[in-house]
Order: sequence, then C-alpha cells, then structure tokens
Amino acid sequence: MAVTKIKRILIANRGEIAVRIIKTAQLMKIETVAVKTAVEPNAMYLSSADVIYDDSEDSSEIPVFLNIEKLIIIALETSADAIHPGYGFLAENAYFAQKCLDNKLIFIGPSPDAIYKMGNKTIARKIALAGGIPMAMGSEGNIANEEEAALIADKIGYPVIIKAASGGGGRGMRIVRKAEEMEKMFIIASKEAEKAFNDPSVFVEKYIENPKHIEFQILGDTKGNVIHLGERECSIQRKHQKLLEEAPSCALDEKLRKTMGDMAVQIAKAVDYYSAGTVEFLLDSDKNFYFMEMNTRIQVEHPITEIITGLDLIEQQIRIANGEELKYKQKDIKLNGWAIECRINAEDVQAGFAPDPGKIESLNMPVDTYVRIDTGVQSGSSIVASYDSMIAKLIVRGKDRKDAIKNCKMALDKVWIKGTKTTLPFFRLLVRHPKFQDGTFTTSFIEKDLEKYYFNSEYEEMLAAWLATKLFIEENLNDDSINVNFEHGKDMSPWLLNKRINQF
Amino acid sequence: MPNDKLQIKKLYALSSENRKFSFSLPLKHTIRIGKRDYEVKLKADEKYGTYILWKNRKYPVEIIRSSQNKYEILFNDISYTFTVETPFSLKRMKVLNSKLGKIEKEIIKAPMPGKIIDVLVREGSSVLRGEPLVILEAMKMQNEILSPVNGIIEKVSAKPNTNVMKDDLLIEIKL
Amino acid sequence: MDLSGKFYKAFTDRQAAIEKQYNPKQAEKQHSKGKLTAHERINLLFDNNSFEEIDAFVTPADQPVEFGKVERSYGDGVIVGHGKVNGRLVFAYAQDFTIMGGSLGIVHAKKIAKIQEMALKMGSPIIALIDSGGARIQEGVASLSGYAAIFQNIIHSSGIIPQISVIMGPAAGGAVYSPALTDFVFMVNHTSYMFVTGPNVVKEVLNEDVSSEALGGAEVHARKSGVAQMIYDDEENTILALKKFLSYLPSNNVENPPIVADDGSIGEINEKLRDLIPEDPNKAYDVKDVIAQIVDRNSFFETSALFGANLVTGFSRLKGKTIGVVANQPKVLAGVLDIDSSVKGARFIRFCDAFNIPIITFEDVPGFLPGVDQEHAGIIRNGAKLLFAYSEATVPKITIILRKAYGGAFIVMNSKNLGGDFSFAWPSAEIAVMGPDGAVAILYRKELAESKDPVELKKELVKKYRDKIANPFIADESGYIDEVIDPAVTRKKIISALNALNNKWVKVPARKHGNMPL
Repeated sequence: MAVTKIKRILIANRGEIAVRIIKTAQLMKIETVAVKTAVEPNAMYLSSADVIYDDSEDSSEIPVFLNIEKLIIIALETSADAIHPGYGFLAENAYFAQKCLDNKLIFIGPSPDAIYKMGNKTIARKIALAGGIPMAMGSEGNIANEEEAALIADKIGYPVIIKAASGGGGRGMRIVRKAEEMEKMFIIASKEAEKAFNDPSVFVEKYIENPKHIEFQILGDTKGNVIHLGERECSIQRKHQKLLEEAPSCALDEKLRKTMGDMAVQIAKAVDYYSAGTVEFLLDSDKNFYFMEMNTRIQVEHPITEIITGLDLIEQQIRIANGEELKYKQKDIKLNGWAIECRINAEDVQAGFAPDPGKIESLNMPVDTYVRIDTGVQSGSSIVASYDSMIAKLIVRGKDRKDAIKNCKMALDKVWIKGTKTTLPFFRLLVRHPKFQDGTFTTSFIEKDLEKYYFNSEYEEMLAAWLATKLFIEENLNDDSINVNFEHGKDMSPWLLNKRINQF
Repeated sequence: MPNDKLQIKKLYALSSENRKFSFSLPLKHTIRIGKRDYEVKLKADEKYGTYILWKNRKYPVEIIRSSQNKYEILFNDISYTFTVETPFSLKRMKVLNSKLGKIEKEIIKAPMPGKIIDVLVREGSSVLRGEPLVILEAMKMQNEILSPVNGIIEKVSAKPNTNVMKDDLLIEIKL
Repeated sequence: MDLSGKFYKAFTDRQAAIEKQYNPKQAEKQHSKGKLTAHERINLLFDNNSFEEIDAFVTPADQPVEFGKVERSYGDGVIVGHGKVNGRLVFAYAQDFTIMGGSLGIVHAKKIAKIQEMALKMGSPIIALIDSGGARIQEGVASLSGYAAIFQNIIHSSGIIPQISVIMGPAAGGAVYSPALTDFVFMVNHTSYMFVTGPNVVKEVLNEDVSSEALGGAEVHARKSGVAQMIYDDEENTILALKKFLSYLPSNNVENPPIVADDGSIGEINEKLRDLIPEDPNKAYDVKDVIAQIVDRNSFFETSALFGANLVTGFSRLKGKTIGVVANQPKVLAGVLDIDSSVKGARFIRFCDAFNIPIITFEDVPGFLPGVDQEHAGIIRNGAKLLFAYSEATVPKITIILRKAYGGAFIVMNSKNLGGDFSFAWPSAEIAVMGPDGAVAILYRKELAESKDPVELKKELVKKYRDKIANPFIADESGYIDEVIDPAVTRKKIISALNALNNKWVKVPARKHGNMPL
C-alpha cells in the first residue's frame, strides 16, 4: 500500500490537547491547522498553530468540534491531509472517522469499525466474553426499562451499576444499592445518557465495591502488531471523573502486569486495533480483575505513560496513521521510575468540586527537571463554562513512588493560579494522606475516606483571619480625620456659592 | 458625665466553623508561633497579583466579598469566611443566640449557576439526608443536589427547565 | 484647683449623684439584652473626648402626678450634645432606656428640640440614637406636644442638614415618625423594633399573633417596608458604619461633601470592565461588580440594599469626591423597575439633589414590571416619582448605558432629554422602543403567523433587529446620547464629565414647591 505521508494536520480540538498535538507535530515537521472559535478567540492553542481557521463568526450553540460536516469542510479548505481528534468531542465517533476516510482524510486514531465496536458497551462486552476476558456479571445487552433492570439486579444481587451504552466519562452512570432506588436511578441515568450521548440506552452490571481503577495503554499498528505500554492507576476519582493518575500502579506485580497486559492486547487484537488505545479494568481487593471498557483515543492521562516509557504517544499515533510499522516489540518496553499527574481544574473543592469558570488572572508554573506541565491556558486566558474546566496537568516524575510523591508535594506548592478556585488544595491534601502514601486507596477513597477535600496548614487560616481583621480596621476603625478633608466643604467657587445662596 | 470609655482594644475574627482568632489593637504585622514573631506582609505586583508574604513564602489572596463585618477571603485557593467582632458584639452574640434558639430550617441554594433539569421532591414530602432533591445541569454535567438533612420539604422554589444563578433559593426543608 | 471650698460643695455633690445614677448595674441590664448604654453609644460615635454634653442635670417636669409616678433623675432619660465625628462637628441625642424606659416627657423633648435647633443654626448633621418606650404616659398631652415640636424641627431642617436616625431599641406609636421624617434610618438586627401599633394592639383588634420582630424588626423594615435603609448585626457595627456613612455627606446644603483620599488603585483605564457584561443578552450579572471597577476602591456604600434590590442605590467616590450611584440590577428581576425600586430611587435622588451630590446612573433596564399587581398598586403613580425626581434634580447627572435601555424605562432613567447632562453608552448597549422579542412579535405578527417555521424566522428577525435597531450607534449618530465609549475608559469619562460640571447651576422658575406625585 502506497502511503502518502501526513503533511498537515487539522486539530479538531482545543485546549491543552491541541497544544500538546501541535508540539509533537512541530518536532515532526508537520504543519497544523487550529480552529478559532467565538467562545475562545484568544486561546493559547491558536498561538502555536501554523494555520488558523477563523470560525469565530459562527455563534451556533453546538461547538464546531462536534460539527462533523463543518470539520471536514475546514480540513478540505485548509488542505489538511489528516485530522487529529484529541480526546472528548468527536474522538470516539465512528461516523466521524468514517467521514474522514470517505473524504480521503487520514483519521489519526483507530478504524471506524474498532471505534464502533468498543464504543458500544454491549458489543464490547460480547467481544470480551467471547475472548474469555473476566468481566462483572450483568445484562446481556441493553435493557428496556426499570422493571427489567430490577429483574437482572435481583439475579446478580445488589449493588449494581447502570451504565450508558454509548457512555464514558462518568455520565449516564448510577450505582443502585437497593431495589427501591432502581426506578429513580434508572430514569436519571437514562435521561443523562440521552442528553450526553444522544442515546438513552443503558445496561446493568454487578457493581464491584471499592475497586482500583487500572488501565493499560495499548499501541497497535496497521500491520497487526499490538503491544501494551504498562498500566496507569486512576483510582483517585470523584463521580467517575479522574483527578489524579499515576504510572505504574503499586497494586500490580510483574506477574499480574503480564496477565492483565496480555488480556488488554488480546482485546485490542479482537477488533484489529491500531493507533493508541486504553483498556480499562477494575481490580478488586483479592486482585481479581474485570474488563470494564476500551477507550479508542488518546487519554488525558497519557503523559505519565510517556514519562515512564520514554515514548511520545502522539508521535506514535501519527506514525501509525502514516502506515509505519511499530518499532517496538513488547520486550522493548521497559518501565522506568514513577509518574504522577494532577489534573488542576477550575473547580471549587469546598463546594463539592463545583465548576468555577472565570478568567485566569495570573498563572505561574514550576520549572524543574522533575516537572512537566501540559496546559492550554496562560495568564489572561479564560476558563469558559461551555468547555471542560481544566487549567493544567501537573505531571511529576520520581525514581520511585515515594520520590514522585515527594516531588509532587514540592511542585504543588510552587503552582500559582489566581482568578478561579482550583483543585490544588485537594492535591495538597492527597499527597499528605497516609492512605494515598501507602497505596491502599480505591475508587471510593474520596467519598469514603476523606472528611474534607482540602489541605491547609494550621497557620493559613490564622493568616486569613489576620487579613480579615486588617480589612475591618481599614474600613471602620481608621482614624479617618487624617484622610477626610472637611475644608473642601468651604472650598467652593464664589460663582456657584453666590448662585446657590440667591436661590433661597 | 461618667467616663465609661468604649475604646475597642481587641478584635476577634470568628470563622464560619466557629474558630476564634483574637488580635489586639493596634494590629501587629506579625503572627506569633511559639515564642517567635513572624512578619506578615500584604503585597501586590504585576506578576503575582495580591499576595501575603509570610515566612519567605507567598500565598495568593483575594477578597471575594465583604459586607458589614463579614469577610470572605480566598487564601491559597481556600475560601474562609470570617465575621470580625468586638468584645461587646461577641458577648451580644452569645446573649442573642441563647434567646433566639436553634435554626429550624435548612435552605438549599444553587451551588453554581445552571439549569434545573428536574425537581425530585414535592412540598410536604419527607426527605432523608443524602437523598437527591434537584438535578441541576451545569457545564454539561448533571449534578444531583442532595439533602444535607432529614426533614420535610416546606417549599420548592426550583422549577424544571429554568435557569438559576449561584445562591438562588431552590428548596426549603423543615427540620 | 481646690474643690473643697464651700462654693464647690454643691457642685461636687451633684457630680457624685450623677455618677451614681449611671452605675454599672444599670449598664449590666442593658448589656444583658445585647444593648449598649446611651453613654457607650455616644462614646463609640464621637472622637476621643470630643463630646460635650449639655443639659445633663435637668430633671423631669414638676407636675402633679396623679397616675403612676415619675422617677426623679438627672437628664430625664436623654443625652444631648455635640462633638467631633472624624474631626467634624456633629450634633446628637441618645435616649437612655435605663431611665424610665427612655420615655419621652416634656423636658426630654425640649432637650431634643434644643439640640435640633442648634444643629440647624450651625449647619451640622444631627444623629438620633433612639431607644425609647414612647410617650411618657404620666405626663399626658405635654409629652405629645413634645413629639410635635421634634417633628416640626426635623421638617424645618430637612434638606438643609443631614438627619440620621439610628434605632437601637423600641420605637413605637407616634415616635416612629421622628425617624421616618429623617433622611436615613439605621437599625440593629434583633434588638430594635419600629411599629405604629404594637403586637398587643394587633392581637386585640385583629386577633392576630405576631412577634415584635416579625411585625417591625430590622429585617422587615429593611426588606419589606423600606423604612430602614441600613441594618447591622450589632450596635458597634451599626455605629462604625454610621461614622463611615457620614464621611460621604456634606455638613449642610451649601457645603460640599468632604474629600477622602483615593488610593489610586482603580486606574483611569480599567480593562476588566470589558469582560463584565455577558455576551448573551439574556444572562444576568451583578451591576455592583461594574460599579466596583469604576469608583474609588472599596468606596461604594450601598443604601437600602435589601429593599427594591432590582435598583441599586448608594454613595461612592470618584477621586475622593462623593457621588450618588443609581444602577439597575440585572441580577434581581432582570433589573426591571417596579413600585418599590422606583420609590427607593426617587427618594435617594432627592437626597443627593438637596445636598449637591452628583448622580451617576448605570442603566440596564428591560422596562417596567408588567402585571395586575403592579398596575393596581399604582406603578404609574410610583414610577412617576422616579421620573419627577430625576428631572427635578439640578445636580450634575451622568448616565452610562451598560446594556438594555428600552422604552419608557429608558426615558425615566435619566435620559438626555430629561435633563441628563452626559449620556454615555457601552458598545453592548441596546437602545430601542422595546426589546427584540416584543418588537419582532408586533412588527412581524402576520409574517410569523404565516411562516412554516416561525421559531426559525423569529430567531432570524430578532438577530436582524439586534443588528439594525437595538444598538447604541443609532442613538449616538442622532445625538440622543453623547458618546459610545470603550468600557475600559468609563471612570476617566465620568471624572472628566464631573469636572466639566463642577460649577453647574440651573435656574429653576420661582415657586413654592413642585407637586411631586407622592
């Protein structure tokens, strides 16, 4: 097959991932096209792209990054030969991938068929089942209504979890602990699924209590080679939203790593997977693991795998899309050291992680050999309500887990963000928590083991109290006679005084 | 006239969790730890904005809100609410608190701006702590607003498919 | 000086007697109610050692008492005098609840009248610290005549010197009209009440149970009746706020307000202002955020914050000089004008006008509040008050149109043709007879009814209306506003406009007074 090499990539995304893709593209001497939107006309990702497509006139409510037809037109108009979807938006939309191919555009990602199969959780479950991959018990396919859900739940036993068939990212997902809750939860999950994925169908499976979230990074080429790059642990999550990830995981030994890794590769091979992908598992306290789903895109947390493997995953994606064969065999992959990623979001941890959009007034990130920052914002940028609330990813390396945590603790105190509230106080708490330090935390850590979601040293509140008192004094107890000029009252223009007096 | 001077010699910053910090007047620009006083400086510059410099470390600060003697301060990304009290107002607070008794109502306000998707309770129905009351959509996420208390729904102000601002009244629960 | 001589014996005896009258036990009684004594309040209000009391030794009227008894006391339950507040002469009277419940007898009333007349003569502000059970029943009609004299004095002084009442305990019956007549009323939460007829009478006449707090507490008067402009949680904060409030006001109607040094931290060009108005015209924002970015730092002192909150009023400063701010509040009821907000605005504007304080208006008003309630309660009559007050005011008047300026409400809010001196608009302004939705529905009724896709057509027409009609440029090009400005330079524009208006003087035709639609 004659392969034309990619010369210009349209980035169908925004924010830090757009910046990240442009960075690698520049190293590979590939040009990039970024789309300027009305919501973020001054976004940082626009400053490093070679070509800007100005779409800021479009005021429709649907972001351009979800508009398949328009993206194809933009790619053709700007003579891009490939599209990188990043994560989110259309990254796991099989129709979009197909549309790219139809228009002779290279889709930097897996085949539409693989996206479709893994994207539909019921089909994915069937594939995994056929391959003998361990899985949580659950419904055979989608379920029609709450009665059917209750029936299955009775069979496999509570608690169960309702999941959106086309879901991901925690939306359309609800845990049901009692039969009485089924009706309410079913409706919520289904409504949410319809809203988020345009597909109300859901399925039910056994809910694994207090598991760890372990995922394997997969790389496959178009020649049928598939390898894994080790695991990431993403158990620190809240409402199924990941907050902190690390690689590798302290819950795995070499043997388990090999078993799970092989399974991950096997699942990928079952759909002839190529490009980068992630196979997610749940690991219970007895080290039983269950296949959860496969994400057919680059993940937010990919940098920690890059740190411990030394590979550039975006580069690999582009090479694979170019039709190149993987240079690495499984035995070439060695995991070195430890990496931690903190997702610094514009969220108010004191208000239960509620989004806190706003303008970033000042942003200063630590510069150290052990720190990598992936961000799409700078001082003066805005975190807008219409997109996700990410400000930056703080990625820290160490020679082992202990060292990485120590470095992380130092780096967290050097991050400076003003303008919105952030998840920083949460991470400051986390790196000090014994359960995080000894690695025994699970996905229910935040809900169960934390009484408050933030860390402050005992003196910080006192300093804040001092400031409040100082302000009160300035406002109320200052000897105003020093500042107040009463003489001004007499200092009136004779012209005006005369007029005023004569008026009476 | 008798000379009963009412000079304010001390101020207390009372946190929302009822922790009390006392400061004597005139206010010192130092904070004491053990036997040593450490200097506190309130500064501002282009690069960092407003910050407090203490023990060689910069802490970002912002005054979020102030009304009367109530101050909401964002300090190192954590917000604190203080009321600044004089010795007499503190005493008065105690007197009134013992007179007024306990609060009988829990007011649920919108924690963030967004759109009400669904209201799951009706006036008069009883709720348990942790039960969802309202589904609020913000930033494309549907958030369940859970009841912080056990009680009976007294008033439902939230209406489905309406937009709400932060702190808008949603539901009142009688304890 | 030797005070043991015979001349001084009587003098020192009296001093000792008064010391005894104001003893710690009395004070403790007040404190146990969460209240300060009259002396403590006075001491808190006035600068160190500056208060000079007069008539401290007067005694209650010597009348034959046939019903109840009058306690013998010095001062007759009220402290009157003058002193310096932040260095400026201020007169004050403080009723003393520990002496006959602060009840008003004829001597008590005469003391108040005396100090009121002095304040008027000297052209100095007067503060009333009210804590009184009402008219002294034992003294009968004499105490009523005392009230009348006090009312008369307040009305005489109105618009000449600032008069402020601070309610720090009960104020019931006819006594409530003394604060009601003054310019501003401060109240203390939980320990002050005002009502014409108290809970007992309500119970007797209407058989309704109501507590003093629910009938006439600070919260009720601040939120519902609008009687109290400022409320605070305790007495010290009330008095501290009062001192701060005084710094915005001139001593009388021919002096200018004091200047308070500006720290210069709000720059003449402030780019933050460009981001404050949401792109979506239907989205709310807090107009106080806009004000804060224009006026001197922390200088905005809001009045009547809880009453008619859809219109924000308050004092502030620009380069140290006092201004009155009136602003529609999009955050509350989308900033519409209704009865409460119109009346609140009108009264505030008249105060500013009387005391030569320039009025700065920030406008974002979709119109008047529609509805049967409002119409029947007289939005016409009450809206007219705001219109009258704006038009009548001869102080410098400047308007900044932030966003919506539609229909009658646009005219009312200090439009240029209503005598506004300067009218600026931000590029986000929409100036038109009515909002896009209403206008499109009327102008294209037929087209919309016949259209296959009325929703889409309406959307299109609304967009067209916004582009063609609802913008500030047409009004600018035809001179109905003075200038469309970059939001960032708003402060600079207002300051230079105020400089230009410094010596503004308008000749009003001679008349006894206008006939405001009260």
